[in-house]
Amino acid sequence: MTHLPDPVRQHPSVTVQFCSPDRHYEPLQPIAVRYVVELPSGQVARAVERSIVWYTEGKGEEDIGVHSFERLTDRVTAEAKTGGFESRLPASPLSYEGVIVKIRWCVRVRLFFDAGRDFVSEHVFDLGHVPAAAFPGRP
Amino acid sequence: MRLPRFFSKKRGHRRTGSEVWGSVGEAIFHATLMVAGVAFGGLLLTGIAVPEWRINHDFLESRGTVVGKGLARRSTGGPAASRASWQASVRLRYPAGAEAAEAWAFAGPQESDRARALERLDRLKLGEELVCWYDPARPAQVVLSRGYNWWMWALTLLLPGALLAFGGAGLARSLGRWGRSEERQAATGQRPRDPLAEGPASTTGHPAIPSCEDLVNSPGTILRYRLPIESPESWTLLGLGLFAVLWNTVVALLAVNAGLDLLGGRIDWLLLAVLVPFVVVGVAGVVAFTRSLVLATAVGTTQLEISAHPLRPGGTYEALLAQGGTGAFRDLEMSLELEERATFRQGTDTRTERLVVWKSPLGSWQGLQLSPGTRFEARATIHVPAAAMHSFASEHNAVHWRIVIRGRPTRWPAFIRTFPVVVFPQSPGEPAA
Repeated sequence: MTHLPDPVRQHPSVTVQFCSPDRHYEPLQPIAVRYVVELPSGQVARAVERSIVWYTEGKGEEDIGVHSFERLTDRVTAEAKTGGFESRLPASPLSYEGVIVKIRWCVRVRLFFDAGRDFVSEHVFDLGHVPAAAFPGRP
Repeated sequence: MRLPRFFSKKRGHRRTGSEVWGSVGEAIFHATLMVAGVAFGGLLLTGIAVPEWRINHDFLESRGTVVGKGLARRSTGGPAASRASWQASVRLRYPAGAEAAEAWAFAGPQESDRARALERLDRLKLGEELVCWYDPARPAQVVLSRGYNWWMWALTLLLPGALLAFGGAGLARSLGRWGRSEERQAATGQRPRDPLAEGPASTTGHPAIPSCEDLVNSPGTILRYRLPIESPESWTLLGLGLFAVLWNTVVALLAVNAGLDLLGGRIDWLLLAVLVPFVVVGVAGVVAFTRSLVLATAVGTTQLEISAHPLRPGGTYEALLAQGGTGAFRDLEMSLELEERATFRQGTDTRTERLVVWKSPLGSWQGLQLSPGTRFEARATIHVPAAAMHSFASEHNAVHWRIVIRGRPTRWPAFIRTFPVVVFPQSPGEPAA
């Protein structure tokens, strides 16, 4: 998230606020998210997608799982400067910091503009309390 | 206007490719297949299917008199290796509407043997009357037989049809994904799947946790479940066996050819030169297969039973190890392991990297002496750490729990046998199992 002082903003920015200040959630717990969109002057979003997803990182190809997905295309909602959504998190997969496999949960707000351009803002949070895996040979 | 980048961003250890260029490339590939299907289908339709259909539907029946006959010769291949085929042909004079027409028509199939084509030609007599069919639009075109060449029709439909279906479906998929975010693609099931990667089945209510149905469908003799063995060695053995059979079939065919040449008093040095390395590889294949077969069967079976399944973090379970076979073992070890698996593409290869990130010994036994008819049995306690990661499996990544048995027989090489288990996450508010 970057904040540039107006009126020199050149890129959109999305600020997200989680209902849990430490961005830590338990499985099956409800999650509520508020977001604020700041756009460069003259730019208007024609659609907004907001989703809660998990994805893998590490050595393997990236896999993605969508827990909740919403696409807003009506002009009033897409152009709104603020928004929010809620969901109940699933039982799995839990956030995991492995050695060659990592699992991350995040909230994504994706803004679509004219000419097919889009801007995505990703905000990571933790699901569960699994400690990081140690490198083999290290305690 | 800014062009899409060839490389998007670096994730983890790798730089991922540009999705935009990937989609463009995929769309071009599928469009090319589709165009090839249309072109190939068009050629087959206009060159084979339509003329055949017209002969059967538009051509008119007549009776023609044989006024001449001869052999049509067709040559294929270059001047150095020219091959000829022969076809009996007759010149027919026949009434075509109000007028009389005269034209050549084939009177039999193409023959590679000239004598057989001549024999067919001899059966046709000058002055003989034959039933024929001519094209009312071009009366000089006449045939002596009608009917359909069904395999040619199948070819006409099958090959271009497959190209059209594969290319069209791929192009439609690429266009359908165009401009759609990866979240939207994943949510609507449009995200491209890797045909070479595993598509794991998840447990209901526990997304991305592999199903353990196959692990609990076999009851144990003493404890509740008998765990199935995960044996990559069996696939290696099958692969070696298939390779040995197929390779040696080719060797046998080459050897028969070389033997026939020798019997005929000719020596094909090129064939012999090819045959020698082929025989060496064939013998090596048989030796490798036999060695793997002996190793797989010489050490007796390993069985593992467990008191409950799936496992939960913080839970304690009982396991029973049973090792069959004969002879002495230096040692036998049992451990619980957590292995990470990552599948990635490297060029045109798909590779899977495996890494054991946690291991807990469950038991170790030394100096075992096994005799036929009895088996070594030992019990062990499995404790899953309270903060353990649950089992996880997605298309390219996995976190696998497994019980591993490592044995070192005195007469045979060491072996490793793996029994997968599934660990579910601890449900909120639920006490440890």
